[in-house]
Amino acid sequence: MSPPRLARCVSGCARALLLAWVAALLAACNAGPPAPGATVIVFKHGKLFGDPAPLRALLDEFERHHPGTVVREETLPAASDEQHQFYAINLQAKSPAFDVLAVDVIWVAEFAHAGWLRELTPQLPPHERAAFFPGPIEAVTYRGRVYAVPWFVDAGLLYYRRDLLEKHGFAVPRTWEELARTAQAVMAREPGIVGFVWQGKQYEGLVCNALEYVWSNGGEVMSGGRIALDSPRNRQALAFMADLVHRYGVTPASVTTATEEPSRHVFGQGRALFLRNWPYAWRLFQDPRSQVHGKVGVTMLPRFEGGVPAATLGGWQLAVNRSSRHPEAAAELVRYLTSAPAQRQLALAYGFQPARIAPYRDPELLAAQPFLATLERVFAEARPRPVTPYYVRVSQVLQSEFSAIVAGLKTPGAALAAAERKLREILADET
Amino acid sequence: MKLERELDRPLWYLLPGGVLLAAVTLFPLAHVLWASLERRSVLHGPPRFVGLENYLRLAADERFWNALGNTVYFAAVSVALELLLGLAIALMLARAWRGRALFYGVILLPWAVPTAVSARMWEWMYDAEIGVLNYLAGAHVNWLGSPAWALNAAIAMDVWKSTPFVVLLLLAGLQGIPQDVYRAAAVDGASGWSVLARITLPLLAPVIMVALVFRTIDAFRVFDAIYVLTGGGPADSTETLSIYAYKALFQGLEFGYGSALAVSVFACVGLAALLYARLMREALR
Repeated sequence: MSPPRLARCVSGCARALLLAWVAALLAACNAGPPAPGATVIVFKHGKLFGDPAPLRALLDEFERHHPGTVVREETLPAASDEQHQFYAINLQAKSPAFDVLAVDVIWVAEFAHAGWLRELTPQLPPHERAAFFPGPIEAVTYRGRVYAVPWFVDAGLLYYRRDLLEKHGFAVPRTWEELARTAQAVMAREPGIVGFVWQGKQYEGLVCNALEYVWSNGGEVMSGGRIALDSPRNRQALAFMADLVHRYGVTPASVTTATEEPSRHVFGQGRALFLRNWPYAWRLFQDPRSQVHGKVGVTMLPRFEGGVPAATLGGWQLAVNRSSRHPEAAAELVRYLTSAPAQRQLALAYGFQPARIAPYRDPELLAAQPFLATLERVFAEARPRPVTPYYVRVSQVLQSEFSAIVAGLKTPGAALAAAERKLREILADET
Repeated sequence: MKLERELDRPLWYLLPGGVLLAAVTLFPLAHVLWASLERRSVLHGPPRFVGLENYLRLAADERFWNALGNTVYFAAVSVALELLLGLAIALMLARAWRGRALFYGVILLPWAVPTAVSARMWEWMYDAEIGVLNYLAGAHVNWLGSPAWALNAAIAMDVWKSTPFVVLLLLAGLQGIPQDVYRAAAVDGASGWSVLARITLPLLAPVIMVALVFRTIDAFRVFDAIYVLTGGGPADSTETLSIYAYKALFQGLEFGYGSALAVSVFACVGLAALLYARLMREALR
């Protein structure tokens, strides 16, 4: 590049930057200080939405119903870890910079224990709790008090290739043993197809996957406030999880590196018979350009003989910052956004799954998203991960020990005994 | 009087730099040291001084010893390989060649790519199902997913990425060796091997030391490459001290214990630096 051209380019870039800066400034002014005397509620949430317009429309309606109140949205990065870090640092410092926040299902007990959240029991009295799925209600309740209101739910599902099951004359598996047998049989007749893909990397997703085996065999992590990890049922359930890789050979050994997206890709490219994933994958498989379009079915996860199916619960709740300057208005916004009409509207706009039960029986919503009928049964049984303020530490222990089981490094007995000992240390250390 | 002022002056000149260093290095360091003596976790109310409790917990923590072992293995193997490869490449490049400039560029490329980006790239290459490595090898190795391979796979990536840095340093060192020594050796009829062993390597020793110090410190603190590749798994087989410290500090929000972990990284790196400094002094003598 010759010097004059370079100079022109640099000055062009500088001009573009300046323009962008001015535009950002104008936008900020636009969103900035409203009329003096107005109550400004800041609503902080992760980047949950594609198009911001439908949520904004709801917030505008709230402002119309509450004259003098202005709701400002502020988004955080989509990564859950980063949001957790942001909230922890700011809430710890008693920052009043935001009033309403969207919290992951595993954070509520931690934030409540730390005294960062305003109690919302009055917003969600016992007789109103039945309108929500029981799993999320359990997750937002800490020591008998409610600290957040469930907004959206997520849970583990079993995706299967309907075409392949039909072709080989197999029914959709109801038990884990059936799943393993079906996968083996289909793999023997369909070269290039793996049986069952799921999330086995050492991370939070592995805990979600492993607990589904544990719970669907009648096992528990904690029971009556005590650690109950090293039990025969848990050993049996996790031995099956490892056997999927090492004995039945229906899950490839590379499951130890798989997170949600890689496993969805394997299935989405038509290279797997079964997939465990969250509801988001359904919409992507419905895309006409998807290689498995029209060939996929979805149902509850299997169970062990004598157990009940159990899906791990995920999802988002709305809470109020304890240091908020406008706690009443903030609680009112939470109540409004988690109301049945708002959840229904957001479900129509974004395809998110409401935490209330009523929208699942709404004819218009069901017509738009028939998938919700399947989900209702799953969410009704979905279970939260252990509700404890020390969940992050508990999860780090479980991730490491479960990973050792999947990798074949430890027997379930050895791993569960080690995990139980470490969890006891954490709880003893913390109380 | 005048002489005294002359002597005083350098101190004043050093002041701005000194203040800046104190603000950005000494203060945070002292803060972390202090935090490591406290029970400081967001779930426990106000911080409380507990003396050496966090360090006692550290000594009894299997996960800490596992992370320390992984870190030492990673640092030792990757630095040794980087030095050997770097020396070989630098010696080749030091010969006057045509196309040397092109080689410089190509060899420096891995160093120029941001670590997080190259780690993502290697993650794809290592992928057991669709990765190019298994495709080329015609094998089915679970590079990042088996406890036996994962840390070695991370080392290979680090060697690929950091060897250029060693090459660069050693090349500069090689160019500093006077040509007349080589000419004298040629007159004496010294073999290529004895030129390398008796002239090049001894004269290059100080630069090799500098490269060792830099690489060891970097390798000991390794975080981003491994965090992106494996996140510490499977079964903690790639969890290094920095990754453990990150998980304790920023996920578990245990600021006291996490600080003790961070101090342990600092202590290890400090020890390594001291050891090298002594070696270097001897080499210079």
